Amino acid sequence: MNTSSRQRILERVRSATGAAAPARIAETYAALPRDYIRQGAMTREACLGRMIERLREYDAEVVETAPEQLLTAIGAQLEASGKRVFVAPEGLPGEWLIPGFDWKVDRGLTTAEIEAAEGVVTAAFCGIADSGTIALHHSPAEGRRVLTLLPDWHLCILRASQVVETLPEYFSRCPKPPALATYISGPSATADIEMTRIKGVHGPRFLHVLLVHDEGIFRVAIRQGLDSESARLTERDDLPALPGTPDEL
Amino acid sequence: MSSVDSNRVVLDPRFAPPFPQGALLVLRNPQLRKNVAHAIDVIQTKRDKLVAEKTDWQALRTAASAVREHVLANLGEYLVQFEERCTAAGGIVHWAADAAEARSVILDLLRQENANEVIKIKTMTSAEIQLNPFLETNGINVFETDLAEIILQLGEEEPSHIVVPALHVNRSQVREIFARRMGLKNLSDDPQELTNAARKYLRQKFLTIPTAIGGANSLIAETGSVAVVESEGNGRMCLTLPRTLITLAGIEKVIPRFQDLEVMLQLLARSATGERMNPYTSLWTGVLPGDGPQKFHVVLLDNGRSSILAKPKQRQTLKCIRCAACMNACPVYRQTGGHAYGSVYPGPIGAILTPQLMNMEHAQSLPFASSLCGACYEVCPVKINIPEVLLELRSQVVNQEREQASRIFDPLYLGLRIANFLFSSAGRFHTAQGLGRIGAHLFTRKDGWIHSLPGVGAKWTQTRDLRGLPPQYFHEWWAARRKEAK
Repeated sequence: MNTSSRQRILERVRSATGAAAPARIAETYAALPRDYIRQGAMTREACLGRMIERLREYDAEVVETAPEQLLTAIGAQLEASGKRVFVAPEGLPGEWLIPGFDWKVDRGLTTAEIEAAEGVVTAAFCGIADSGTIALHHSPAEGRRVLTLLPDWHLCILRASQVVETLPEYFSRCPKPPALATYISGPSATADIEMTRIKGVHGPRFLHVLLVHDEGIFRVAIRQGLDSESARLTERDDLPALPGTPDEL
Repeated sequence: MSSVDSNRVVLDPRFAPPFPQGALLVLRNPQLRKNVAHAIDVIQTKRDKLVAEKTDWQALRTAASAVREHVLANLGEYLVQFEERCTAAGGIVHWAADAAEARSVILDLLRQENANEVIKIKTMTSAEIQLNPFLETNGINVFETDLAEIILQLGEEEPSHIVVPALHVNRSQVREIFARRMGLKNLSDDPQELTNAARKYLRQKFLTIPTAIGGANSLIAETGSVAVVESEGNGRMCLTLPRTLITLAGIEKVIPRFQDLEVMLQLLARSATGERMNPYTSLWTGVLPGDGPQKFHVVLLDNGRSSILAKPKQRQTLKCIRCAACMNACPVYRQTGGHAYGSVYPGPIGAILTPQLMNMEHAQSLPFASSLCGACYEVCPVKINIPEVLLELRSQVVNQEREQASRIFDPLYLGLRIANFLFSSAGRFHTAQGLGRIGAHLFTRKDGWIHSLPGVGAKWTQTRDLRGLPPQYFHEWWAARRKEAK
């Protein structure tokens, strides 16, 4: 490291601005205007509806499910994808690894092994309805960054109670700043050629979100809607009532 | 000048032609004008719609502006804090006073890695220090990974926009470049197919090249973390797969806290691409065991920024978050495109940033490349009063020119001095008007307009017409009217 450049730059910066005491800096920072909307005003129902709508605008596929039906719903998504080989973060609940597929659990998978997989299933930290964003903090159930990057198909399991309306609400939900985070708003995209939006450049081209209604609001409606569909897609009815969902905090 | 020379785009402010001359390249090329206008129209329409749905847009702008001003006012402390936290998390922080030092720091780091290839995330700062040609000269193959940057790199084109750098290139031109450089003879000009070609072309490079260079959208002082926003996933590839990552960032990129991203991220994508949020935002802190590069370097670049910081009216230039909303809104940029600015930073922000980064020694025509309409200020998410800075820089340029002795004999300055003499007395002014009518009569066409003037007057008429002098001046009419009344 060139310490003389460090000194020279800092001297130039400080002579340009003058030096304030740390306490004074903290004080002025605390007094900065923040009159933007921090807390959303939507009902939970509207907020979840907004999340779904925004995700779909990004060409992400959204399926709603009741907690009791989660495993059926995961199985149906995997089946419908037409893929067989999936990677899973090490901390993904074991029962989410639906039998009948080729699971590669990440206990130090190589890049080549991850690249060879066709899809990935993960949990999430938070969903932000205002922009249809999924925040990953890469906890054991969300996986290393590379897991949700190389496979072309990503199934993300998001609980309704993890969905907030505004971006500032997400920041309030972080107990401390995450060391790692990825915010995903729809599948990889570009508009570099004549501003035509093209889905899928380098990241996963297909983003599927399974929204689990763990707040009870929609349970009945969803259950009725899903029962017939899941019966069609799978023949499994011996599922545990409430599969464990991971708690990242 | 030969036709080859006049078609060559130069984005080095030291050698680029003055703006009016650079602008001719696009103004004379209908295809280029069409490409630029189309791209700008699409972004602007999306941006306006998404900004309108944000009821707290002005409050967000105010907050962002305040955060950025606060950082700049305390930049030294926040930089030291960032350095301390980043280092504690396993990152290595380097400081570069100018472009040459940044280039040599990066080259040294690559040599330590025995790297002869490097993958790159799009970073304007690396374009500012002209990193790619330097690395290539030193035997390192650089692979740009952003789709637009690949188009430019393979097509040997220059960027014309800071967010959509290849917006001046249309699909059939992209097809031609990819077919030629990737050896894909049967490629169509369908954007989906072109994008797939780029995906294939880069995949192996992502998986095998162990060193990456990128930029930063924000450096977070509180945690020592770095944030990068992008769309394609090429950024995530470069930030995740290599063994070694080098981040190059201007010293002004710091924000105080993680939570300040709640303001910046709401403004950035809406302003830049007209999206509610860009597809991917990555945030990491130093080196994380088992996840991502195990060697992480940050190069903090001054390169003229600290001297901008020292000038109160101009300091706001450094609030910029490089969203490009100002160029999308600018009526001048819309006509000329980016190459006319002779800098990697075009448009209104380029017109104020470039001459300042050049210490007012080059690019002096840029502060005049504006109608001062204020559209740039209105859309700026961090409220940079660009017209104010443009005026300040214009006065500096004029003062510089005045100081040059040869200007005494410059026809324009001589003319202005004569005008000053004539306009300061009514008698002299009326006499001059009488003479002017005789003179102007020679150039006025039948339609009552002057279409071209000789000498210094041509500076006006080469881009606009001048109305011929009227048969009766207002003061003559006024005097006649009073006489009649009596």
